[in-house]
Amino acid sequence: MKTIEYLFTPELAPMFWPGVIAAVVIAVLCAPLSPLVVLKKLSFVGQGVSHAAFGGVGLTLFGASVLGIGGWNPLMQACVAVFAVAAGLWIAVLSRRRGTDTAIGIVLAVCMAVGFVFYRLAADRLAREGLPPPPGIEDVLFGSVLGVGPGGAIVTTAAAAAVLVLLWWIRRPLLTWAFDESTAGSFGVEGERMCAALLGMLSIAVVATMQVAGVVLATALLVLPGAIGLRLGQNMRTVAVASLAAAIAGVLGGLVISFELGVQAGPSIVLTLAALFALARAIPRPV
Amino acid sequence: MTSPAEDAIVLEDVTFAYNGEPVIENVAIRVRRGERLGILGPNGGGKSTLLRIILGDLAPHAGTVRVLGRPPAAARRTGKIGYLPQRVTAELSFPLDVRRVVEQGVAARVPPWRPLGEQKHAAARALDLVGMAHLADRPIGRLSGGQLQRVLIARSVAAGPEVLLLDEPTVGIDVAGQQQFGEMLETLRREMGLTVVIVSHDLATIAASSDRVACLRRTLHFHDTPNGLTPAVLAEVFSHDIAMIDAHKDCPPTTDPGTGPETGRAESSDTTPGCGCGGTR
Repeated sequence: MKTIEYLFTPELAPMFWPGVIAAVVIAVLCAPLSPLVVLKKLSFVGQGVSHAAFGGVGLTLFGASVLGIGGWNPLMQACVAVFAVAAGLWIAVLSRRRGTDTAIGIVLAVCMAVGFVFYRLAADRLAREGLPPPPGIEDVLFGSVLGVGPGGAIVTTAAAAAVLVLLWWIRRPLLTWAFDESTAGSFGVEGERMCAALLGMLSIAVVATMQVAGVVLATALLVLPGAIGLRLGQNMRTVAVASLAAAIAGVLGGLVISFELGVQAGPSIVLTLAALFALARAIPRPV
Repeated sequence: MTSPAEDAIVLEDVTFAYNGEPVIENVAIRVRRGERLGILGPNGGGKSTLLRIILGDLAPHAGTVRVLGRPPAAARRTGKIGYLPQRVTAELSFPLDVRRVVEQGVAARVPPWRPLGEQKHAAARALDLVGMAHLADRPIGRLSGGQLQRVLIARSVAAGPEVLLLDEPTVGIDVAGQQQFGEMLETLRREMGLTVVIVSHDLATIAASSDRVACLRRTLHFHDTPNGLTPAVLAEVFSHDIAMIDAHKDCPPTTDPGTGPETGRAESSDTTPGCGCGGTR
C-alpha cells in the first residue's frame, strides 16, 4: 500500500507526516464549527472567505517577492489568515447594506481577481530574480498535503488550539446568540462581538483548511461534518461528537484515497465526506 | 401620582420618526413596578416602535426614557429587561430541547469555567411558572405556537428580569390560549413582582393580560382598566368602527356604540364575530 510506504518509509515520512497531522488538526478544528455553519446557513460566507483568502495569497506572494522572499512559509500563511479575517468582516459590513448574497458576490469576485493578478505578478518576479517559485496554482486551488511542512503543521496546530479555546470560552453566549440573535442582548450577549468572533474563527479555519483542501474545497470541511452530525445527533453534544467523528474519518479516508490513487487531497477528502453524508442520510433518523 | 422609585418605566415627551415621518409624538408613560400595562393600537400605529424605544434598540428623537431608573440600554445590559419580539426569531432547527433553551436565559452570564448549577434551578422554576415543566425534554422545534411562546417567556423569566416587554405575544393563539396566557402573566407578577408591558392590536389579549390600557396611534390615550375602553375610543384608535365581543363568555352581549365599556375582543365592523351571534356596531 502506498499509504504505508509514504508514512513509514524513513525517506518519505518527513514529507507526508506534517500534512497528515495538519489535516487531522483541521478536522478537529472544523468539526465543532461546522454544525453552527450549517444551522446559521453560513456556508456561502465560508465560501466567500475562502475565495477571498486567495486574494490574500496573491497579495502575500507579491509582497514577499518585492522583499526578495520566494516560496511559501508559515508567516505568509499568517498574512493570508489576516486577509481572510478582514474579508470576512468586509462581508459582514457589506451584508448589512446590500444583503449577504450580494456582499459575497462582490467580495468573492474582487478577491479572486486580485489573487490571480498578484499571483501571476509574483510568479513572474520570482522567476526573473531566480528565487524559489510560489506554490503551484493547482495546489493553491485544490490543496496539497506535500505542501505542508513542519512549520505549517505547527502554525496550523497553534491556530486551531487558539480557535478551540476561544470557542470553548464563548460557547454559552455564542449559542445563545446563534439560537436567537434578536433577543440575545436581553441575556447579556453582545451580538456584534459574537458575530465578529464567529467570522474570525471561520476565517482562520478556512485558511487552515486551504492548505490541505485548497481554496475551492475548503468550505466543504465546514459544511459536510456538521450536516452529518445534525443528521445523526439528538442534541448539541451528540451532534458535535458525530461531526468530529465524520470530519476525522473524512480526512483520513480522503488522504488514503489521495495516496493510493495519486490524486489531490482536497477532492478526495470532499468526496469521502460526501459519501459519509450519503451514508448518514440512508440511516433512519431517530424519533 | 407615584414616586419615581415606584416607577419601572418613565417616558417623557418621547417623539420618534422614520425618515422624517412621525410614528410617535409626545408620548408620556409611567409604568409602576409590578403593573401590567397593555398598549393597544392598529398595525403601524407605533406600538412595536415604542417597545423598542423602551428596550433601548431605538433612540427617541426627542424626550427621555428611563427604565428601572437608568437609560434603557444600560438597564438592558443588567439583564433586568426581558423581551419577546413580535415574530419568533429563534432558529427552531437547532438540536436543543426546551430545558436547554430556557437555560440560555441565564447561561450566557456564567463564567465559562463554572458549571451551571443554580442557573439550572432558575430555568426549572421558570418552566414551572409558565406551566411547561412537563415538556422540558421536548425538542424546541416540536412545540405548538402557544407552547413556544411560553418557553421563550420562561427563558426571559429565568434571567430574573424586573420588566418584561411582550410584542404581540398571542398572534396565532386561540381565544382559550389567550386567556391562559393572561393567567400565566398574572402568575408571573404574583410570584416575581414582574412589571409587564404588552403591545397588541388584539383587545382580547390586552383585556386578559393588563391592569391598565393605553391606546396608541401616534399619541396615547390612557384607561385605568381595560373596561375603560369604549367602542367610540376604539373606533378613534383603529380609524373605523369596532365591534366588541366579550372574550370571556360564549356569546357577546349587545350594546349600543359608546354606551358603556365591555371587556372583550375588538373586531372591525366588517368582520363577522366569531360565535356568529353578532356584535355591536
